[in-house]
Amino acid sequence: MFPELNSILNSTPDSFKSSDFILVSDRRADASFLIHHHLSFYLRGLDHNVSGQGVSLAQAREKGQLVFLEGLKNSIGVILQEDTSQETQPLSYLRTPGAGLEGLFRFVERSVRQSGDGDAGESWGPPVLLIDDLSVLLSLGVSVGAILDFTLYCQATVCSELQGNMVILVRCEEEDADDDEEGSNLLRRGLVHQCNLALHVEGLPTGYCRDIHGQMEVWWRQGEETIYNQRKIFHFKVHDKGASFFARGTSSAVL
Amino acid sequence: MSVESCVLQGAEAGGFILIQDTVKCTGRGLLKCFINAALKRGEDVHVLGFESPETEVCAGLDRSCVQKLHFHKGFPDPLGWTRRSSFTVERFASQHITQLIKDTQQAKASVLVVDSLSLVLRHHDPLVFCQTLQELRKGGVIKTIIGLLHSDLHQQGIVGIVCYLASTVISVAPANNERHSVAKTTRRTKSGKVMQEEEYFSVCKDATLSVQAKPRQPGHVQKERDVSEADPTSNLTFNLRLSEEERKAKEKVALPFVFSQEKKSALLKPTPGSGRIVYEPDDNDDFDEEDPDDDLDV
Repeated sequence: MFPELNSILNSTPDSFKSSDFILVSDRRADASFLIHHHLSFYLRGLDHNVSGQGVSLAQAREKGQLVFLEGLKNSIGVILQEDTSQETQPLSYLRTPGAGLEGLFRFVERSVRQSGDGDAGESWGPPVLLIDDLSVLLSLGVSVGAILDFTLYCQATVCSELQGNMVILVRCEEEDADDDEEGSNLLRRGLVHQCNLALHVEGLPTGYCRDIHGQMEVWWRQGEETIYNQRKIFHFKVHDKGASFFARGTSSAVL
Repeated sequence: MSVESCVLQGAEAGGFILIQDTVKCTGRGLLKCFINAALKRGEDVHVLGFESPETEVCAGLDRSCVQKLHFHKGFPDPLGWTRRSSFTVERFASQHITQLIKDTQQAKASVLVVDSLSLVLRHHDPLVFCQTLQELRKGGVIKTIIGLLHSDLHQQGIVGIVCYLASTVISVAPANNERHSVAKTTRRTKSGKVMQEEEYFSVCKDATLSVQAKPRQPGHVQKERDVSEADPTSNLTFNLRLSEEERKAKEKVALPFVFSQEKKSALLKPTPGSGRIVYEPDDNDDFDEEDPDDDLDV
């Protein structure tokens, strides 16, 4: 979890906006560090007993706080075998490409509705759905429209109904003039229309730099009843213990 | 026709108002203004809400007329996956919509609002979609259709088709400052005349439209007229003003590079006591007694 990012987004694990759909996207860069941030951010919000820097994912999984669907790992099994058991239902779209992602949504819905009850009867509060990463579905042959329908349903259930949060990672390719019809950029545009907050990570337009790993654009889209449309760009540097964010031109290498 | 008059008066019967937006600027605020204005005019408004929840669409609307608003729940289940919606995208056809509107108690000519047309186009053939729209316009049950379209989610051709069907197209885009957006309104009257206008606007919390000055050139915002220009020579510790004599003396000063008659003669006539040039030509020199500047008309 990155404290600087928390202050940029004006949220802490103890007090963050609920019912938010946060879109994380990247182009020629790797935004997965933001997914790690959000994962530890929300787990910390659930369990105030977490001390020190680390959040144990294994422990969270055991307690039932964290539910994993290993999409890529399981998809090979679905494609190669005729297994139509309950476990492979979420990935049934792989066998019938024309079908939408209704099966996957049903898995998500089941998981988020169950997550309210922990082992000892304690409730973990509103659910958080993290998807890493959605553009893999594109390369598996799912259409952009089907993915957008799936995310709309996830947003309706997780954010609107259960007052939880949703964070989705999308990887984009280079912007291409011919690429209007299908592709990751169209998917990203559709998701930006739906989301409340969009974080977009790109390399610096001037090239590689040792001290600045890239730029991140924060786009506040809309709250519940207000429409913001405010954009700001920050530079960042990822290191072992986390990442630091700073306004453009204020890197310690420059000042 | 400005966007403000479009919102306040609505369209004539059989009209189709299209609000086009992109990721850079959402058109949902403007859509809300249309809904609010229609409610205030006492019209029945039917909203097919596929993309946004009812709470979001109705937030800020005038409470006294909200009972004339009929929100047909597509969201949160626009495709019927969880069997919780009262109207799915699949049922976007003229007979279903007409029946839906007739089922309400007062079936006078209503306003149909679709949020959004993009979701409908994702699940219907464009040709069938266009036919549905035309049938609804001519059906008589619906007075006006207002739709929101995310133009950057469709091919240009599809966007073009929907724009062609519309009697009024309003495209929203971001302006230079964050508080306002730019609306470009194109209206086609029944006689075929096309009117275009571009304005700054912002949506207030009570779902009313606030239109500012039109942009004269791209990127310029008109200055507010009630800020008067301050006199820069007042309230100083030194004097920047001129008295009458000082002003006259200033006007009399001959500027250095302006050629007047006195200056010319002063420069060209040799004054007594100035230096003389003594020149002794060499054997190789081609000495000419004539003045080379003789032919100049100075």
